[in-house]
Amino acid sequence: MNALRSWIARRLLLGVLQTAAVVLLVFGLTEALPGDAAVAFAGDQPDPQRIAAVREAMGLDRPAHERLTDWVVGLLHGDFGTSLTSGRPVAGFLADGFGPTLLLATLTVLILVPVSVGLGVLAARHEGRLTDRLISSATLGVYAVPEFALGVLLVSVLALRLGWLPPTAVGYGTDLLAHPAALVLPVLVLLARPVCSLARLVRAGMIDALAAPWTAHARRYGIPGARIRYGHALPNALAPATQQLARTIDWLLCGVIVVEALYVIPGLGTVLMNAVADRDIPVVQGLAVVFGVATVLLNLGADLVTHRLAPRSGAAA
Amino acid sequence: MIAAVTGLTVEVDGRALVDRVSLRIRPGTVTALVGASGSGKTTTGLALLGAFPAGARVTGEVTVHGTRVGHVPQHPAAVLNPARRAGALLRDMARQQVRDLPRSRRRAAARQRVARALADAQLDDAGKLLSRYPHQLSGGQQQRLVLAQALLLGAGIIVADEPTTGQDALTTRRIVEQLAAVAGRGIAVLLLSHDLDVVRALADEVLVMRGGRVVEQGPAYRVLDAPADPWTKELLAEPRTLPYADSGQAGTELLTVEGLTARHRTGGARVPVLSVDRLTLRSGECLALVGRSGSGKTTLGRCLAGLHRDHTGRITLDGTELPRSLRDRSRAQLAAVQYVFQDARAAFDEHRPVLDQVARTAVRLRGAEPREAVARARRVLTDLGLAGELVRRRPGLLSGGELQRAALARALLAEPRVIVCDEITCGLDPVTRRSLLNLLGALMSRQDAPAVVLITHDLDTAAPADRVAVLDGGAVVEEGTSEQILNAPRHPFTVALVGASGRRGAAVRR
Repeated sequence: MNALRSWIARRLLLGVLQTAAVVLLVFGLTEALPGDAAVAFAGDQPDPQRIAAVREAMGLDRPAHERLTDWVVGLLHGDFGTSLTSGRPVAGFLADGFGPTLLLATLTVLILVPVSVGLGVLAARHEGRLTDRLISSATLGVYAVPEFALGVLLVSVLALRLGWLPPTAVGYGTDLLAHPAALVLPVLVLLARPVCSLARLVRAGMIDALAAPWTAHARRYGIPGARIRYGHALPNALAPATQQLARTIDWLLCGVIVVEALYVIPGLGTVLMNAVADRDIPVVQGLAVVFGVATVLLNLGADLVTHRLAPRSGAAA
Repeated sequence: MIAAVTGLTVEVDGRALVDRVSLRIRPGTVTALVGASGSGKTTTGLALLGAFPAGARVTGEVTVHGTRVGHVPQHPAAVLNPARRAGALLRDMARQQVRDLPRSRRRAAARQRVARALADAQLDDAGKLLSRYPHQLSGGQQQRLVLAQALLLGAGIIVADEPTTGQDALTTRRIVEQLAAVAGRGIAVLLLSHDLDVVRALADEVLVMRGGRVVEQGPAYRVLDAPADPWTKELLAEPRTLPYADSGQAGTELLTVEGLTARHRTGGARVPVLSVDRLTLRSGECLALVGRSGSGKTTLGRCLAGLHRDHTGRITLDGTELPRSLRDRSRAQLAAVQYVFQDARAAFDEHRPVLDQVARTAVRLRGAEPREAVARARRVLTDLGLAGELVRRRPGLLSGGELQRAALARALLAEPRVIVCDEITCGLDPVTRRSLLNLLGALMSRQDAPAVVLITHDLDTAAPADRVAVLDGGAVVEEGTSEQILNAPRHPFTVALVGASGRRGAAVRR
């Protein structure tokens, strides 16, 4: 137990360093991009004098390392800084964008886990037979379709042609929960590929687990089939799926830009796109911190769950 | 009669694993199937459980009358779910059994049933064990846990597959007593074993198998004391007592261990597991290291061969100190101390022919030309009874005994001064074991034969050695000639070990 705790501590420390490295890299790269917030702000009238004035007003005339240091000191006090273009606190930006993103991610995961586990177990149970072949070929096929293609297809069929669902979330603001119909299409698109990859992993793990001697032993000793499948075999099959699930949640929280853009959902992906377009460096950096922390915590969580499901593997770090 | 097998034949790819086997099982008796590995014991035992190899063609009949069959396999870990705690299956089974009770009483009743099964299986400290994972239990605990599952099942028959293979004398005695207790409860035991001492101690009825057929069967006293079949006689022949080495040959001190303390890493801490003040091996001599599992025998052997480098103290060969790690030893030093591993199958690359792997030693350590090395490997292998096409095959097609000979040949090609043999007869049937040990004796009687460190838990294997060192809890508790150790042990631990081995027969039976 003690070893586990020190392992968690080491992983967290490593995570902090990784997040810091990501932030530095993001800062360096945005600095290296041509143009800055002042140029973007000046827009159609690139008058050099005006740009210089804006630059001075934004504090962009100061050396890069000074701006970075200020921002880091602020961050240590819990202050994410202020947006260059709007003057609003970055924390507010992030909070606004986080709501819709979290909502989408939560809905997707709530549907994703039971559906993919169920499909995987069902396929493994009928390994090599019709049910398995149907599930396996369908998951492989759907997995091959990129999100934007599937998104466009669903919009044109379900929203534009049949008119069953609103095509985008335009006009609903950040309170998407009040308009569940607008969420159906984005969640469907977000679900499509993760369901396939998870179901295939669960299927592979379940086939191994169901063929193991301890499964035959439990069956011989009169344990009912469903209990063997879900109580005894499934825990063995879930270890690889857990890692994949962590990666999926990470992706849902940090980068579903395509889906947000397609359905006009004001989530973190949209915030990121706008901030990069405006060269709004504090906002980009704030997002980098949030994404970094989320990735570190999710992977740590997945490793802990894997350790529980495959206790022999030990804690790897 | 509680179960019967009649004319059972199990064929896989046209090859009969079991050929027209019939046997009857009566409550409260122990029926033993004995025979070499591959003789069809396990296939017969599994048939009683209703399990057959994949793709097998089965004829004949297996009938079990109104009871269930429990299983204690050779490797109990194989039937324990690695992702669930040890108590998971027991709890599920108990829950099945109490379904008819009112809901409020189920939990207590189930817990009571589990507790009783654990107590019956003599699993001490069971409450704590049940919340551990299978890999955190010792082999003995795993075995008793699997037995508890069979008892909870209410099995009228328990199939015990090689329950004592690889166990030291004290553990073996405990297992024998436990199985006797199981039979004493009126449960029929089908014992699959090649450990004849265990069979002698337990069995009422013995069936001798060879190549899938029953060559002899009858009451234990008749089969074991007055065998009719020549194969049974060979199986029952006394273990070798003739010394491995010519005792006159032992010469000067060859290998010396002084002030050695070896450590293992356990969860970040380095724990001392072995300390040896002084131990010597003279040239031409066979020194047996005996003790229970975990006593430090293998660690000592690994230190000698440079496989375990986390130790202090000196190991000298012919007066020169050997570096601790393999990596720091010169070619000559590497060749001088060779190691033969317990698991011969794991010690060979499964994708390359055995001959090439054996010959490689001569190329690597003696600088021989590849062609010359192969010729030499062939000569040594033929010497050890592995001739012709057999050695051109991959390891998967050789039996355990054959592979162990090949491993010995591989060590010999280095022309070593010392060979460390780590449990090389473990898991082999009596006939194969005797022939391997005879081979070792033949090797040691030659001119310039290497000295041998024989690591074993089996006192019969240790008896023909010149000297025996007894290890317990990481220390050499007693050392002397094998006659002295086995006939007049002084240390209490040695007394217990020798006693457990010698009194197996008398210790049990109701």
